[in-house]
Amino acid sequence: MPKVGKDNNELKVDLTQKEIKEIKELLKREPSLTEWGMFDVMHSEHCSYKSSRPKLKLFEDAEKNYDYVLAGPGQDAGVIDIGDGYCLAFRIESHNHPSAIEPYHGAATGIGGIIRDILCMGVRPIALLDPLRFGPLKNNPHSQWLFKYVVKGIADYGNCTGIPTIGGEIEFDKSFESNCLVNVACIGLGTIEDFKHAPSKAFNFGDYVILMGGATGRDGIHGVTFASRTLTEMSEADRPAVQIGDPFTKKMIIEATLEAIKTGYVRGLKDLGGGGLSCVLSELTGDGGTGATIDMEKIFTREPDMNSFEVMLSESQERMAFIVKPEGLETVLNVFKKFEMAHAVIGKTDDSRILKVNDGDNLVVNLPAVALSDSPTIPRKEQRPKILDELLAQETPEPNLELEKIIYELISSVNICSKKWVYQQYDHEVGIRSVVKCGEGDSGVLRIIGTNKFIAASVGVNSKHCYLDPYEGVKGGLVEVCGNVIANGARPLAMVNCCNFGNPEIPESFWYFSRSVKGMADFCKELKIPIVGGNVSFYNEDEVTKTAIKATPIVMIVGLIEGKEKIITLPFKKVGNDILLIGETKAELGGSEYHSVIHNLEGGTPPKVNEKNIKATWNFIFELYKNDLVKANHDVNKGGLVITIAEMGFKNNIGANLDLSDCLDNLRDDELLFSESVGRFILETEPDQYQKIMGIAEQFNVSVKKIGVLISAPKITIKGLKAMSFGLKIAELKDLYDSTIPNIMET
Amino acid sequence: MSIKIAVIQFPGSNCDLDTLHVLKNVVDIETNLIWHNDFKETEYDGVIFPGGFTFGDYLRAGIIAAHSPALDEARIMLRDGRPILGICNGFQILIEAEFLPGALLKNDSLKFICKWINLIVENNKTSFTNKMKLGGVLNMPIAHGEGRYFTDNLKELEENDQIVFRYVNETGEITREANPNGALENIAGICNLEQNCVGLMPHPERASEPILSPKGTTHGKLFFESMISFVKKGVL
Repeated sequence: MPKVGKDNNELKVDLTQKEIKEIKELLKREPSLTEWGMFDVMHSEHCSYKSSRPKLKLFEDAEKNYDYVLAGPGQDAGVIDIGDGYCLAFRIESHNHPSAIEPYHGAATGIGGIIRDILCMGVRPIALLDPLRFGPLKNNPHSQWLFKYVVKGIADYGNCTGIPTIGGEIEFDKSFESNCLVNVACIGLGTIEDFKHAPSKAFNFGDYVILMGGATGRDGIHGVTFASRTLTEMSEADRPAVQIGDPFTKKMIIEATLEAIKTGYVRGLKDLGGGGLSCVLSELTGDGGTGATIDMEKIFTREPDMNSFEVMLSESQERMAFIVKPEGLETVLNVFKKFEMAHAVIGKTDDSRILKVNDGDNLVVNLPAVALSDSPTIPRKEQRPKILDELLAQETPEPNLELEKIIYELISSVNICSKKWVYQQYDHEVGIRSVVKCGEGDSGVLRIIGTNKFIAASVGVNSKHCYLDPYEGVKGGLVEVCGNVIANGARPLAMVNCCNFGNPEIPESFWYFSRSVKGMADFCKELKIPIVGGNVSFYNEDEVTKTAIKATPIVMIVGLIEGKEKIITLPFKKVGNDILLIGETKAELGGSEYHSVIHNLEGGTPPKVNEKNIKATWNFIFELYKNDLVKANHDVNKGGLVITIAEMGFKNNIGANLDLSDCLDNLRDDELLFSESVGRFILETEPDQYQKIMGIAEQFNVSVKKIGVLISAPKITIKGLKAMSFGLKIAELKDLYDSTIPNIMET
Repeated sequence: MSIKIAVIQFPGSNCDLDTLHVLKNVVDIETNLIWHNDFKETEYDGVIFPGGFTFGDYLRAGIIAAHSPALDEARIMLRDGRPILGICNGFQILIEAEFLPGALLKNDSLKFICKWINLIVENNKTSFTNKMKLGGVLNMPIAHGEGRYFTDNLKELEENDQIVFRYVNETGEITREANPNGALENIAGICNLEQNCVGLMPHPERASEPILSPKGTTHGKLFFESMISFVKKGVL
């Protein structure tokens, strides 16, 4: 690592020699150590997106192209207009590195950070969702430790703040063994009026700068530069770089902030996250075209004798910065007093376009505001990994087990089984909005009280598919996550993403990122889904084992349901009804659970996405909804179609007689049963509507096959395969589905 | 006669707005949300302590809030027989303030638990249960980490008819499997000797609208309707 500064006053920085030279040229002097520290943080990958920014330009301009998008990428959160004067803000972020080192506080402060991002759009956070990745769980104390405490961290923090955790998804795979992924998403609801009162800029001269919330301490110093490196054994020594969360203070910050915004005297606000005060002050003034003078002695600290370097770089949690109109200072301060929140007026904005920080009589920071917020980009090389040819060419061996045994094995896979052990630890009911609750649908559905509108949200991506083909894999992820909200009756409105990749300096890792971004951009443009925000987490590699994580470009979709009667749910409802399979099943077993659980294979041919077919399928489904023809819907996902049907039968203990002879075509039995071809749904419909539905299918040119009927006997029988027909017991499937994780975690 | 109810808001309350919504918009009673330091009992016919994590549950759930001036005001209401309900963290506060006997310990799983459970009504004479059927089964959600009821005066509670709810299975049987947190004798809610003050771990405000209930029930509403009826009659 290069060193800056002189003599005994040196600092190791992550800046490149080129950046160091340019900074000196820009300032025409040697920066102070505090200034070097600020540049180091602001030029880190985490704050500057210096590797990713050139690629993210591929996303179309959501604010320009979609009239309902109020805020797009580059802001603290994406914001969309949902009608009736309301807006939704949402964003997803990673907290991978801190959680890999200290799972409880790492995950908790991840939740803390994403809540602040939503809050500073001026709206109330109303839901959390958490996609997680860990190493294999069985016989693996390290993974169990991470899993247990990440879940507890999310639960303790989210529950205390009174924000329900309404969804998430979890995968276990050996590539995440020492670099687990903890992504956190939050949705906020407010009026458009509230949102307009909360820009994250200081665009006016003479306003007060107020710091509110927790005290500034020595925790989390250089957290972002830590997150912009790969994890090594030395990272254990970085544990002090992990912040400590305080959900109670966060709850008070939420209430105090929302009440302060209601006064009308707040002109701008921003949360303190990565990069601390350095980041907030330079972005507020840099983006607002103003400057500011800050009095460091006013900043309340947790410990005595903190120097300017520590104060400016601290990432202590639970802090917010407000830009307040001079005439409203007292009113706003009274709000903070009511909630007994610590606060201080730390400075004033001016027209200098310079950020000055005084420590007593010493001017310790004197930088052009944009110098910090306009960081350079670095072009990265990309190269397709050679190993992919070998992986993609892998063929599926003949099954070594009977099909029924394979299905029992699959439903007990940790990647498929119930996640009840997790979501029962989350308060998913607080706020009394949760209409479709955890475990009861493909997505979480919330009511918007005071309207007849509902929102549905889902997150995820299939990391195993992305590993084999990031371009098709991320598209498949989008098809699936959109499919989740569609299955509940919602139209997808907008997307945010969280890109988790390896070291961008390694061309193979950067290739994964680049192809994923291209996949998202192409799919969303074609299906007209605005991308309203994103987050990039690089350096998810383990230097000890020299392995990168499987590419994980998580996507989150928020959709809207216009009316209570339009909500569709997953469980089968009535014996005698038809089971329809929508969409084509292809020999796409690459990266499937079947390959991994039964054959211990990572390769094969992964699913491909045909946007035209997807569009037609979605339009077809909505046409059925319009005619009230769908009684239950579930998208086909990991494990394939029998797993999907079993999940639909669990709640009401309804069985199925399946005849798959129409679907077999040229497929092998295992291909038909376990393929993870994307864009498929299983529907429950009434038999006397069959002709009508087939007519609509023809009109939309969508593949629809009746594959069975619902029966009262609690079993699934399957015939029409090349193999002999066989049966599965619902009770046995359900027991395996429910008990897998508790059996591992509670014994 | 017009009825006015207070919902007390502490730092860290998080079911305050939910409870307010149900009282105002579902049950249709005049209700004020009051910051704990500002609460004055003289204006109100009843008071509800909602769920949440008051003062972050630091030290022990409910104990810091139990020392708020709001509890001194509520104590006057306790003495003159006005209805007082503590839900979840509100129950923990009422225990810590000694409005109700016993203790609430960490769940036996040592985990926070959020799920729908069933309760049997064991006393339908209290200010919050007089519209319920004795022995009736209610479907409601719980969401807590410290809800395992314990007392060393079980006999006294039973003799005085202070056990209001127990956790049961779907058919109304008191079983070990139906007990979500290890509570003594499956106890989910209790009342004081005079039966005007009730505390319970489950959340009636989350079970008052059909759209929120897995089975479309509205058993939670019965608590608030019982309260109205109690206030109107003036006596138990």
